[in-house]
Amino acid sequence: MSRRARPLTRVLVAIGTVLLIANGTFPLIWMILTSLKDENELIRTPITYLPVDPTLRNYVQVFDQLPFARFMLNSAVVSVSATIVCVIIAALAGYALGRLNMPFRRGILTAIVVTSMFPALVLLVPLYRVFLGAEIPVITQAANLLHTLGMTFMPVDLGGPNLLNTYWALIIPYVALSLPIATLILTSFFQLIPKDLESAALVDGCNRVQTLVRVIAPVSAPGIVTAGIIIFVNSWNEFLLALNFNTSMSMRTVPVGITMYQGEFAFPWAVISAAITIGVLPLVVLILVFQQKIIAGLTAGGVKG
Amino acid sequence: MATTAPTPYRPAGFWRRLRQGNPSEAQLGFLMLVPAAVVLLVVMFWPIVQVVWQSFHFERLNLPAEGRYWIGLTHYERMLWGSEMTWSLSNLLGWRLLALAGVVALWWAVRRGSLRRSTALWWTLGMLVMAGLLMGFHPGEGGRWNDARFWNSFSITLLIIVASVAGSFAVGLPLALLANVTSRWRWLVRVALLIPWAMPRVLVGVMFAWLFNSTNGVINDLLRRAGIEAPLWLARSDPAVWATNITIVWATSAFVGLILLAGLQSIDESLYEAAEVDGASPLQRFWSITLPLLRPAIAVALIFRTLTAIQTFDIPFAMTRGGPGRTLETLGIYITSTTNNLNLGYAAALSVALFVMSLAITVLYLRWIYTED
Repeated sequence: MSRRARPLTRVLVAIGTVLLIANGTFPLIWMILTSLKDENELIRTPITYLPVDPTLRNYVQVFDQLPFARFMLNSAVVSVSATIVCVIIAALAGYALGRLNMPFRRGILTAIVVTSMFPALVLLVPLYRVFLGAEIPVITQAANLLHTLGMTFMPVDLGGPNLLNTYWALIIPYVALSLPIATLILTSFFQLIPKDLESAALVDGCNRVQTLVRVIAPVSAPGIVTAGIIIFVNSWNEFLLALNFNTSMSMRTVPVGITMYQGEFAFPWAVISAAITIGVLPLVVLILVFQQKIIAGLTAGGVKG
Repeated sequence: MATTAPTPYRPAGFWRRLRQGNPSEAQLGFLMLVPAAVVLLVVMFWPIVQVVWQSFHFERLNLPAEGRYWIGLTHYERMLWGSEMTWSLSNLLGWRLLALAGVVALWWAVRRGSLRRSTALWWTLGMLVMAGLLMGFHPGEGGRWNDARFWNSFSITLLIIVASVAGSFAVGLPLALLANVTSRWRWLVRVALLIPWAMPRVLVGVMFAWLFNSTNGVINDLLRRAGIEAPLWLARSDPAVWATNITIVWATSAFVGLILLAGLQSIDESLYEAAEVDGASPLQRFWSITLPLLRPAIAVALIFRTLTAIQTFDIPFAMTRGGPGRTLETLGIYITSTTNNLNLGYAAALSVALFVMSLAITVLYLRWIYTED
């Protein structure tokens, strides 16, 4: 279409493209500019666009006011562990659904699509109770049932360990929340690998498990990277559960920690902007390096909106 | 005798085939699904069963002496019903019943075959939204609702669903069309579409709170330069609704654009060439080729956008903490604050309301997709 387009159309498309790029990048660029300004410069009217006297003091303040390095560490530990666990589980499920001749395949896929639509908000109360130690899922209920049936050798209201303010309280739900989407992405990815590859390996005398480890795993590395990035971004960004489950300052993640810089009435915007700039840096790097893979994965799985 | 009887041929058992490293495809498949099934059952499905069960119980962790006990439908009564509810047309209950009767009539017509199912579906959706908005914007006429705060958050959530989903499509479709024809700067376009998707929603909220700052924000500065009166965006409820929706649209339209872009790229180029030969104008081509063929992508984006809009929490929380006052409190914020007040029983009932809402919308959309295709 664009090859034979008239000059006017081309100019309009160029203007539109500039607007599109500005729309996507301007807020972030504004944050970076703000983070380089002095607190006094921010309250000046009319406002300045480029920093008059660029300073990196705000970046020092980020680490001085709150344990931001700790937030980064927490986020990294939680997101990386959730990503690794989730990718392994999803790769197994995706392989089964994408390549193997399975009964109930369509039914299972539909169930996974429906699961991916479950609101995370609904998990807040039940998971809070579980992580508080009020119950162990399934086991507590089984014990209560046995008790009502007259078998009183088990304690009623069996509780578990208190997992609030630990990494587990976030890793467990993040794995579950990203799992349906990761499975869908990997299923559609495994479907693209030619079936001949596998049959050739089987003919050459590999058994199924060997085929999987030696032949399929190397070929599927790009798909696994794609799914991993998306799980990582989802986990890094999650706010609701992190806000409610990990309430001690040393266990906050980056998104939650950044909201702690603002006081009741004071908004140190320069410091907040600096914190945001550091906090989204890993995401921006991922985007710059893996843009095509991420888009392929997003459109395959239909992720978050 | 019995000991020497030859064993009849049996195919290799499940565990034996597995030990030999050579399970059948179905066996291997189910085995590989086990970890995913366990995680989803324990961390997704079981909590949903639990939250329904919990909603029938009294439990306030700040009153530990009370413990946890069965109170039946009390939470739902508090949430959905009022103490002085009367049956008349003059109050909103009457209008709601009228809407309900209308929905019943619509589906009766569908059963008789005098109305198309898809038409009825859209009317039903519209009526539910209208009834919901009416309900929420007049919470109780003098405190008739037991929980006016629930109806307020319900209507705010509905408003955000309608406004932000429509907005993200209005912005997302042009983004997709542009990204599809741009040949130069392709990587920059991709980055510009991915940044809003990858930003944490809370931080988007914080960022836009600064952009919308009434004295030192860049948006008001641009408005003042253009000679437009700059509103106090986040201090009053009306402009705050706009600011919040604009922020949500910014954060979500790029994702809608990406999904639609994938749909656009799957459209066969030769269709356009044929239409051009037949002398169709660009607008005609858009209406008769692009839009119909984009339908599946639109449906996917619509479902995901609506379901995430129901859960809206991060952005309003970050921008105004659900304020000014409680005027922008979404259902998500209400559930969180109830949980933080340690009233776990009522928070569970509210969660169930949210779950039912998203389930209803999922079913509506799925039926829409299946009836049309």
